[in-house]
Amino acid sequence: MRRAALLAALVAALAACNGGTVDQHALKQDSEAVDSLACEGALLANDVGKGSTTHNFVEVHAGELAQRASNFADALSERPTLPAIEREVRAEARKAGAIAGLLDQVKKYPNRPVAESLRDRLEKRGGCS
Amino acid sequence: MKIFKIALGILAAIGGFVDIGDLVFNVAAGAIFGYQLLWVVVVGVVGIIVYSEMCGRVAAVSNKAVFDAVRERVGFRAGLVTLVAAQVVNLMTLAAEVGGVAICLRLLSGLPYRWLILAAIVGLGIVVWVVSFEWIERIFGYGGLCLLVFAVAAVKLHPDWGAVAHGYVPHMDTEDTALYLFFAVGLLGAAMTPYEVYFYSSGGVEEGWKPKDLGLNRANAIIGYSLGGFFSFALMIVGGALFLEQGIQPDFLGSIALGAEVPIGEVGLLLALIGILFAVGGASIDTLFAGAYNLAQFFGWEWGRYRHASGAPRFTLTWMVLLGLALAIVMTGVDPVQLTEYAVIFSVVALPLTYLPILLVANDRAYMGKYVNGRVSNVLGVAYLVVILAVSLTAIPLMIITNVGQG
Repeated sequence: MRRAALLAALVAALAACNGGTVDQHALKQDSEAVDSLACEGALLANDVGKGSTTHNFVEVHAGELAQRASNFADALSERPTLPAIEREVRAEARKAGAIAGLLDQVKKYPNRPVAESLRDRLEKRGGCS
Repeated sequence: MKIFKIALGILAAIGGFVDIGDLVFNVAAGAIFGYQLLWVVVVGVVGIIVYSEMCGRVAAVSNKAVFDAVRERVGFRAGLVTLVAAQVVNLMTLAAEVGGVAICLRLLSGLPYRWLILAAIVGLGIVVWVVSFEWIERIFGYGGLCLLVFAVAAVKLHPDWGAVAHGYVPHMDTEDTALYLFFAVGLLGAAMTPYEVYFYSSGGVEEGWKPKDLGLNRANAIIGYSLGGFFSFALMIVGGALFLEQGIQPDFLGSIALGAEVPIGEVGLLLALIGILFAVGGASIDTLFAGAYNLAQFFGWEWGRYRHASGAPRFTLTWMVLLGLALAIVMTGVDPVQLTEYAVIFSVVALPLTYLPILLVANDRAYMGKYVNGRVSNVLGVAYLVVILAVSLTAIPLMIITNVGQG
């Protein structure tokens, strides 16, 4: 009985970490992760603007970042959420979706002005320093 | 001429020091804690020197590699548990390294990932089958030296050198103790990767080391691993100076390469990708052989990378099967970076199982004669046994508490 209770507690703890109800802690973590993707995308866009990277690298790496941001957007818009923070969570989902869209544009190795504009928009979205 | 040969060997060892675990944990630790955990790399590098030197000495004096010694010292049953644990960790590491090779090829070529996994497996199989081991060691070791680009990147990012120096003094400037400890455990695990030691001691037996080669063994272990440790420092400094500043969590191998691209440009990116490709490719081969060595030594089969397949058929079949299993694992779509994190943590858990028998054998006068552990070796050996046991017992709880370092 005690073992079963311990197992249930462990499963509950793991579920809370990985895709259970979104609480304040999970929202903060996901928000930081989404900002991180935006800031990394901004670095990449900056290098695209300067011509100091390769097409293949940009296509693959920006694609990975975009895919991860898109996954966050889907998860945050679908996962059950504490009612008190639901609006914030859905807003974060929209933000992740917008960042995924910007990263998809970086992936296409745009020309310098577009790349610089994407960099600025990603920096703003991600609150990058 | 001999000094030149030794220098070449050490160069190859330096280039071959870094594997996917070092790349992932050092950069991530820098991105989260800045330079605070540099001291752990020093502890890890001294640990792998102590462990390797003992294994090399046992190999040179008794002609026994790690799993020969394990089976003799702890018996069949306990030895079998150790073997299974070592092989599981080894296979996880191999799969992660193969996945890393495929990711690097993809970042360089833009070709589809799954085809590149297949290409990586076929390529590694051909290299192991066709190329002489001496050349494998040279090609991958020297190719891995391209990772020196991260040392240049670290300097060009203008880190706060005072903070870097302070990182070599153990301290904890964070409220998240569990996460700090998780990364400390991961960095130790990444530095003290067991497959490197299985590979090293088996190589010693194959190359016919004798007690007269003990000086060479010591020089290889001390100089090779110490200089290799500088790669780890450079990676962590890049993590701290670039990613921590920007609030970036480097979750992809591409992020690590970006660490060289941002300060150096396209040349930096290409050198980083080539360096990672060779380092991870070389580690794949080491891991592959280590798995085959372990099994063959434990069951008393013929083994040896210098032997023709017909001279050691079960050894050859073992590495082929391991390669096939790694292919199956990576093809499931598992993320090699996440797999690396698990592999490193589980390798720490299993580490005492092979470390303790080697420490006991190295202390056994009946085995080692006058080459038994001296006072310094014993103090260090026992101190590291305590460290390894503590780290082994706390690794899984820390992994659960921190959600594998996600906080």
